[in-house]
Amino acid sequence: MSNRRSRQSSSASRISDDQMIDLVSKLRQFLPEIHERRRSDKVSASKVLQETCNYIRKLHREVDNLSDRLSQLLDSVDEDSPEAVVIRSLLM
Amino acid sequence: MELLWQNGQVVVQNQRLHNNNNTKKSSSSPTKLLQPPIPPSMDNNQQQQQPSTDQNLFIQEDEMTSWLHYPLRDDDFCSDLLFSAATPTPPCATSQVVTAVRPPVPVPSSSNESRPPVRNFMNFSRLRGDFNNGRGESGPKTIVRESTQVSPSATPSSAAASESVLTRRTDGTDSSAGLNRKGKAVAMTAPAIEITGTSSSVVSKSEIEPEKTNGDERKRKEREATTDETECRSEETKQARGSTTSTKRSRAAEVHNLSERKRRDRINERMKALQELIPRCNKSDKASMLDEAIEYMKSLQLQIQMMSMGCGMMPMMYPGMQQYMPHMAMGMGMNQPLPPPSFMPFPNMLAAQRPLPTQTQMGGSTPQYPVHASDPSRVFVPNQQYDPTSGQPQYPGYMDPYQQFRGLHPTQPPQFQNQATSYPSSSRVSSSKESEDQGNQTTG
Repeated sequence: MSNRRSRQSSSASRISDDQMIDLVSKLRQFLPEIHERRRSDKVSASKVLQETCNYIRKLHREVDNLSDRLSQLLDSVDEDSPEAVVIRSLLM
Repeated sequence: MELLWQNGQVVVQNQRLHNNNNTKKSSSSPTKLLQPPIPPSMDNNQQQQQPSTDQNLFIQEDEMTSWLHYPLRDDDFCSDLLFSAATPTPPCATSQVVTAVRPPVPVPSSSNESRPPVRNFMNFSRLRGDFNNGRGESGPKTIVRESTQVSPSATPSSAAASESVLTRRTDGTDSSAGLNRKGKAVAMTAPAIEITGTSSSVVSKSEIEPEKTNGDERKRKEREATTDETECRSEETKQARGSTTSTKRSRAAEVHNLSERKRRDRINERMKALQELIPRCNKSDKASMLDEAIEYMKSLQLQIQMMSMGCGMMPMMYPGMQQYMPHMAMGMGMNQPLPPPSFMPFPNMLAAQRPLPTQTQMGGSTPQYPVHASDPSRVFVPNQQYDPTSGQPQYPGYMDPYQQFRGLHPTQPPQFQNQATSYPSSSRVSSSKESEDQGNQTTG
């Protein structure tokens, strides 16, 4: 199936149905606003991709914030166990 | 005063012909119309030259003035016609008032229908713009339609005369359409539909001007135009609709293609942006890239959850709670697999300090765990890390699930296989905690 998709979507200008299904499933997973707002058929690929990019950027920001917080906590906590937790949690 | 072409000669007549266009045309047109086409070039030219003076007189007539003036402007265009016609026949001297292009134009146009008509029509379109104050675009179209319409349906007299003109027009339109398909052709068709009889008449007249040489031909064309006007008006509308439909379709197709192209470009642009966001994405295939994007998003979410729980746990990391923390975190994490990272489990953990063991076990026994565990484990870790026997949810989450997925930390997981679990980075903590908890549970 992936081979078929790759063959079909080898060119940059082709989006097969499988790809569209992937996009829609992704949207439903992460973007509730698009989930039930309109039929999956109507969701445009560009909008899906845009929302995905935005969501990924948002996740990145979240990770950065949490990393900062963890680092701060790590500094504040001298215990070994929590420190280890934080250190490991900070491993990204 | 009017110049009539009778018996091969120009005869000056009253304006009755103009007044009685329909009647006169039907009667007199046959002779006039038929004659010009017969003699190809020389005769027409000769004849045209003769009545030059008459034509001038004729030109002074009201009906002629309108398009007479225009022809002067048309010279620029007509010159193009001449060149395009590929018939360097010198413009007849008769065309003193009328552009010299006219005489040769009709001749070569008939012969070389391809090129001259193209230019002609393009010029006509411009002329139309001049004549019709913006309806120029529609002009050629109307002209073509007129020609096509008139020729098949018009009376033989008018048809004969108009055919000669129409052929040029049609040729021009066709070629012009070929040249300017999208823009002018389409634009011309659109306004063509809306053209009224007057515009068509003017157009026809204007068309006639460059094509016909001298007043004689002009007269005929005028009459033809008038007759054609009446005929073409109705026919125009009919054919306008018919040809418009086909042109509309082509136009719609073009518009659709353009919109499709824009859509594709937008999608490609977003794909590139997405590719940049995903780390270590070396896939050029769209499908695989999207799959990776999906996995990356899942890993990011898990990572954020872990980190948020870790942040929340840190202040709670009291000595007595250490053993419970990972369990609660894991329980909470598993219970809330995908929602945005928040410290909702925090109060729960605080409140559930006592029932931690039960909670953890409940969490472990919760059927959710295997479900959730399966997804991340499938995505990020090739080895299933769920250990239901121990009653402790094997938290497959990772602080860096994406790296785990990437296989960058393959060695870390096995280090804490106390419970047959493999975790990278943060999971070590949980695993260590779990081991401690297990020890506690077994003992206590």
